[in-house]
Amino acid sequence: MTIRPTEVPARATARPAGVFRRAWIHRADYLYVLPAIVVMLIVIAYPVYYTIELSFYNTPPSLQLRDKIFVGFDNYAIILGSDVFWQVTLNTFIWTIVSTGCAYILGLGCALCLHRAFPGRAVMRAILIIPWVISAVAAAYIWKWIYHSNFGVIGALLVELGFAGRPPNFIDSVNSVLPSLIVVNVWREFPFAMIMLAAGLQTVPDQLLRAAKVDGAGAWHSFWHVTFPHLRGVSIATILLLAVANFNSFIVTWIMTGGGPANASHIWITHIYEIAFGRQRWGIAAAYSVILFLIVMSLGYFYVRGLGGAEKEGGAS
Amino acid sequence: MAHVVLKNLIKTYGGYNAVNDVSLTINDGEFVALVGPSGCGKTTTLNLVAGLTSLTSGEILIGERLVNDVDPKNRDIAMVFQNYALYPQKTVYANLAFPLQMRKLPRDEIDRKVKQAAQMLDMTHLLERKPRELSGGQQQRVALGRALVRDPAVFLMDEPLSNLDAKLRVQMRSEIKRFHQDLKATIIYVTHDQLEAVTMADKLAVMSGGNLQQYDSPAKVFANPVNMFVASFIGSPAMSLVPLTASTVDGRAVLAGAEGWTLALSPLNARKVQRATSSKVVLGARHSTIKLTTSAVPGAIPAKAYTVEPTGDVTFVQAMLSGAIVNISVPPDVAVEADQPIWLAFDQDRMHLFDGATELALKAD
Amino acid sequence: MTVASKPAPRATIDLWRWAGRAFLAVMMLFTLLPMVWMLLTSIKSGFAALQFPPQWWPNEPTLASYKKLLDPTSSVGEDFLRFFWNSLFVSTMSTILSVIVAVPAAYAFSRFDFPGRKFLFFSVLLRNMFPAVVFLVPLFILMRFLGLMNTHGSLILTYLTFGLPLAIWLLKGFYDNIPYQLEQAARIDGASRFQAFLLIIMPLSVPGIIATAIYSFIGAWNEYIFAYTFINRNDRLTLPIGIQRFFSESSSDFPGLMAASFMMSVPVVVLFLMLQRYFVRALTEGAVKH
Ligand SMILES: Nc1ncnc2c1ncn2[C@@H]1O[C@H](COP(=O)(O)OP(=O)(O)OP(=O)(O)O)[C@@H](O)[C@H]1O
Ligand SMILES: [Mg+2]
Repeated sequence: MTIRPTEVPARATARPAGVFRRAWIHRADYLYVLPAIVVMLIVIAYPVYYTIELSFYNTPPSLQLRDKIFVGFDNYAIILGSDVFWQVTLNTFIWTIVSTGCAYILGLGCALCLHRAFPGRAVMRAILIIPWVISAVAAAYIWKWIYHSNFGVIGALLVELGFAGRPPNFIDSVNSVLPSLIVVNVWREFPFAMIMLAAGLQTVPDQLLRAAKVDGAGAWHSFWHVTFPHLRGVSIATILLLAVANFNSFIVTWIMTGGGPANASHIWITHIYEIAFGRQRWGIAAAYSVILFLIVMSLGYFYVRGLGGAEKEGGAS
Repeated sequence: MAHVVLKNLIKTYGGYNAVNDVSLTINDGEFVALVGPSGCGKTTTLNLVAGLTSLTSGEILIGERLVNDVDPKNRDIAMVFQNYALYPQKTVYANLAFPLQMRKLPRDEIDRKVKQAAQMLDMTHLLERKPRELSGGQQQRVALGRALVRDPAVFLMDEPLSNLDAKLRVQMRSEIKRFHQDLKATIIYVTHDQLEAVTMADKLAVMSGGNLQQYDSPAKVFANPVNMFVASFIGSPAMSLVPLTASTVDGRAVLAGAEGWTLALSPLNARKVQRATSSKVVLGARHSTIKLTTSAVPGAIPAKAYTVEPTGDVTFVQAMLSGAIVNISVPPDVAVEADQPIWLAFDQDRMHLFDGATELALKAD
Repeated sequence: MTVASKPAPRATIDLWRWAGRAFLAVMMLFTLLPMVWMLLTSIKSGFAALQFPPQWWPNEPTLASYKKLLDPTSSVGEDFLRFFWNSLFVSTMSTILSVIVAVPAAYAFSRFDFPGRKFLFFSVLLRNMFPAVVFLVPLFILMRFLGLMNTHGSLILTYLTFGLPLAIWLLKGFYDNIPYQLEQAARIDGASRFQAFLLIIMPLSVPGIIATAIYSFIGAWNEYIFAYTFINRNDRLTLPIGIQRFFSESSSDFPGLMAASFMMSVPVVVLFLMLQRYFVRALTEGAVKH
């Protein structure tokens, strides 16, 4: 028989103290985060403000900013009216979604295959991680050389094995450039997903898996009903981190193709860079950045929710 | 050593009073157990005394000193945590030495004190180990040692035994008691295990829902629980509480059960029942104060055995009365079987009566 | 008594096992072949690299490309070594700084309860969302204004902010898993709040700090876009940009390019492989909470 604890009315129900009073009480705490916040402010808040301002101006190529001319929303109109914008947008989404999806799936596969101990596992894992660690610039050059239209090793292999009469174009052709670059990107990124998910796998309780086995679940069922649900939090975090990284990735595309041929591999980042530092259209580039920024912010909502949520989940359990 | 005074302590978390107006005085050298169910505010109270959480309102005095705004390190207290909170990267020796180093004691004195504490707790051979190389009981002892080396005015202990297995718990229980007797230390000891509290403490402070329910010696709390919560919390098995209705039959005060039986009350108990705010009265009886017979006896209430649990020394019989389970202990040689009719006689002098509406114990005067 | 579990049919288990092995083999090839080809190319002569069909195995393996890069007396070697030191300096500095900044911030986010804590934490996280280009033009102007163009300071400052969000996030997770009773114990034992952090918690979070440091170092070592924008002077270039400069001038020296790519990757790969257990541990304890 249970009995509710006796409810004695609170004699003094304290009001929550005012925000400012609490802030004052905790004033020493802010010292810990102050350096981080200051650095962030300089390198983030100011640029964001400045980009927004610049997006309303027509600027001379030399960046003599005294001579900039206010043009209202003209820059935005120009961008939204151009075909390139829509092509680049499509490219960006294909690039981000396909890269993220493939990297996640390959990473998950590797993490699962490497979960059980076997001789040589440590070596294999170390090797699989390397593409993520080496410089993206190095990776871009390696693959540029591999894809080379005359002396590339893949083309040569295809010819030697009789699949092609002459080496096919990979990054010099409008049709194949984006998939070719995505392969490079996935090559670089799947190890990250692998590390994250491998770490997640270690937290799947053995007991649960054993229980599933006793219940007669096969490999697939214990994966689908036990392991995978357990990886939910890590998966969300991984996918978000990958998506953000892909959205913002510049090096591979820039070094391998510079966005070409015929804008076929341009994504937002490279396109904006070209407009700004190539054509020196600072105002347009800024307006582009603001649009990108708005899209990113709306994704950012999910990002924060996802990371924050993954965190809460962890905290609760 | 010092006494500790808590005056009207309130701690609010987001509008919820985790500690609600708690006042108590702990005398010098007294062992006080703060006991109550999980989440009732025991740890919070202890943390308030330690200065680890800031007070919403109220006053704390240690010795004669008001310590509301004094840092934990300057309150002259030591604390033993539920999960021991040993510094995992330090050896046992370094763990014990840390509080002394923080007080900038000279090296040789630190060494002397650490060795002395280690000797007292019989763990000299463990000094070079890391916490993770120790068993639960050994870790517990190190935690105790770390509190001990400092020779503080007050010891605070937050469920120090709850992570140990039953046997070790009993052993450590007597060690801590011994330690209290040797040192004449002032100890505030948090536990949710009423048995631990009753066996170890000079005084019990029973808490529930942030409120202090009763503060008295274990014997008095046991004999005179102030309300139904305390009655059901202290003692094992718990006091049986049967909701009944007060009425009169032939001018005599009786309590009526849902099954239609009545229980005549002694004059003293009748006066108590008169003070109830409504006709709803709860009868409380400990297992040993109920007499069970297997045949009808005048004044006894008919019931049916529900379960029978032989434990060796005594056999516990549970019966259903007025929708509540009543626990009765009988000698092991009394043969009772489940579903057998039984008769229960309540001891008028040792029964408890509670107001069904306020849940407070009813008093005669 | 043993519970007779219904074993999955032998054939299905084998099927999964073989599928797993095949998948791993394919992934190993996918990972390794490009790197093997890099190494093979780097030990060819410039002439041998430009043959069709290619020499699958170099006829006359030579370390000439590596010698050239590492010879401080040749102009290529002089440049390469200078870029190398520049990269090392910039990466090390920004790593040290980001640890110094991230550790207390992460600790505060994990432990303290000051108003605005959530907001600040999420704004820090949000930084990761912003693409570098959004900052490029304004930062370019800001650096010009601060007189930091062509200095390593501009890069260090910028790299610091890259590393911070993930560093703070990882470390916060790490601190969340250290029982707060340890600090309480330390404070009762006579430590101030800061001492408790410094003497008890800091040493415990070393794996997290190492992981954070690796992450910032690799990020800084491999960073391209800001270095490409902020640094023009040849003697200040970092490796990724330096290499690009070299080889855009002699675009057919693929063995040289591959050798340089290899050399550039060695330090980070070695560093990572040496410290990866900390990294994995930090992820398990930090990002992936139980
Ligand atoms: N930092 C906090 N923020 C909000 N609520 C809190 C906090 N700490 C404690 N509480 C709440 O205060 C109440 C009392 O908590 P406390 O830890 O004192 O319980 P306890 O009696 O020690 O319980 P247990 O036996 O489980 O340790 C609980 O309801 C708890 O949820
Ligand atoms: Mg508690």
